[in-house]
This record gives sequence, C-alpha cells and structure tokens, in this order.
Amino acid sequence: MTGQDPGPLIRLYGLTGGRARPQGETFDLVAIVTTVGGPHTLADLIPEYRAVLSVCRRPTPVADVAAHLRLPLNVTRVILGDLRREGFVTIERPRPVAQTIDEHIYREVLDGLRSL
Amino acid sequence: MDYAAYEPGATAVTSALAIKILIAGGFGVGKTTMVGTISEIRPLHTEELLSERGVGVDDVSGVESKNTTTVALDFGRITIREGLWLYLFGTPGQDRFWFMWDELALGALGAVVLADTRRLQDSFPAVDYFEQRGIPFVVGVNCFDGARRHDPTKVRRALGLTAHVPIVLCDVRDRTSVRDVLTTLVTYAVEGA
Repeated sequence: MTGQDPGPLIRLYGLTGGRARPQGETFDLVAIVTTVGGPHTLADLIPEYRAVLSVCRRPTPVADVAAHLRLPLNVTRVILGDLRREGFVTIERPRPVAQTIDEHIYREVLDGLRSL
Repeated sequence: MDYAAYEPGATAVTSALAIKILIAGGFGVGKTTMVGTISEIRPLHTEELLSERGVGVDDVSGVESKNTTTVALDFGRITIREGLWLYLFGTPGQDRFWFMWDELALGALGAVVLADTRRLQDSFPAVDYFEQRGIPFVVGVNCFDGARRHDPTKVRRALGLTAHVPIVLCDVRDRTSVRDVLTTLVTYAVEGA
C-alpha cells in the first residue's frame, strides 16, 4: 500500500484552507479538465496547483488528475475549483451518457476492451 | 509532446471523454479485486472527507468526538485511446454512504453488481438502486475458489431480476473474465434489452 504517510495529507488540507468542497458549480469525478491559462502567472502558484496545470495541458478527467498527483479526490477538486475561478482551467459540464456515446465510440470501447 | 491548449489560436474544445462504470455489491464481494484485475493503473484508493452536516443521515452514535468521516473510494482506469477512457469506480459498501452513490451514478454508462451466491441478499440494495434509477446493470456472479457453479436462472429468481438483465458467471481475479463482464455491460447499456 502507498499513501500511508499522513504528513502530506495534513499539509494538503492546510493547503486548501480546510475546505472539503470546491468553489462554484459542481463537477463530476470524470469531468474533463483542460488548462487554458498561459504560463505567465504560474510563478505565483504553489507546486500542487502548477502540477495540475501541467497535467491538464492534455485534457484530463478529474479522477486522473488526482491519480497523477497522488492527491485525495476532494483535495484535487478544491484545487480545480480554485484554478477554474482564476481562469486557468476549464472543467467540462456533465453530459448525459446517451449524448456522449455514439455508435463510433461504442465500437471503439468494445474493440478496446476485447483487445485487452 | 505538444499541448493543444498552448498552441496559438487553439480553442479549449475537448473531444476527450471519460466513461464511468460502477462496480457495486456487498462488502467483501470482490469489487476492489475486480477493479484491480482490469485496471491499467494500480487501483487508486482515495477518501472523501465529509463533515457531519454533509452526511446528514449518517449514524455517528459512538463516535461523538469525531466531526468528520471519510468514505473510501477505489477506482481504476482503462485507456481505450488517447482521449477516451473507462473509469471503474468501486462503490462504497456501507449503506450509510448511499448519498455518495448518487454522485457516482450520475452520468454513468452502467454498473456491474457483483454477487456472492452465499450471500445473495447483500446484492439486493445495489440491484434496487440501479433498477429504481433506470441505470443499466449486469450481475456478475463471482465464483470463488471451491464455490459451486451456480445456475444463473436461480440467481435471477433469487434477485428478482427481469429476464433481460444479463447475468455473467465470473472470476474477479481473472482478466479475461472481468473483460467479458465489462463487454457484456457495455453492449447491454448501449444496445439495450
């Protein structure tokens, strides 16, 4: 097991000011996050926030951001809410699954699974 | 490695898509094992920290000194291609975390309800939950070592499932078996009954 060291976790809850909920509109665990802000103001950000922006230069689901950074999901969400408010990232609004999975994607998913 | 968002004139429009699949079932039925068997990453174990107020109906008797609670959440990932992923979320096993299911289930493609034939009743809450919300699900009967092979007809009857809900005998430790459960779910969810 990894992540047993409580030190970073405590520090991160300090980092989010103890907040357990992100600011603004709620977003899904697998909402796609995309970095949109330029790098010019990044120097002011603390490392975890910069790391999120680095990961999300490729559109990345929220859960994956947490995975990349080894951060708890709710800490990740607070950070993402902050970055969205500051205009550094966009977070996709949830879409009904019926609107997102067309025949083509369905085939891709099935083929992908079968090739595992 | 190029980053579209930094290219001049590039828009933030994403075609990326992450598809959510839930793995549900009673405590100890093999949800986390199933996620781990098929995930390309080691299943991530994270926790949602909740205030008592947020929990609402949570029974915190006996833990009066605690003003927060955590919900463990396991998830894994399968990359179909760049920009298309399946995420598998093991649902929290305890009934008191139902509210968390609502968030997990929102927008999910569907669910696998894992069942252990020795404790079929443990699967009732999950079956009820997905039926009531119209979320497509398949039942995976986890065949543990030494467990008898079970007749899907009997499982269907015991769980009160309608004829169209797929029942798949599986071994959550076996990659091919888990893959077959997922392909069954995806086909069922998209093509319907």
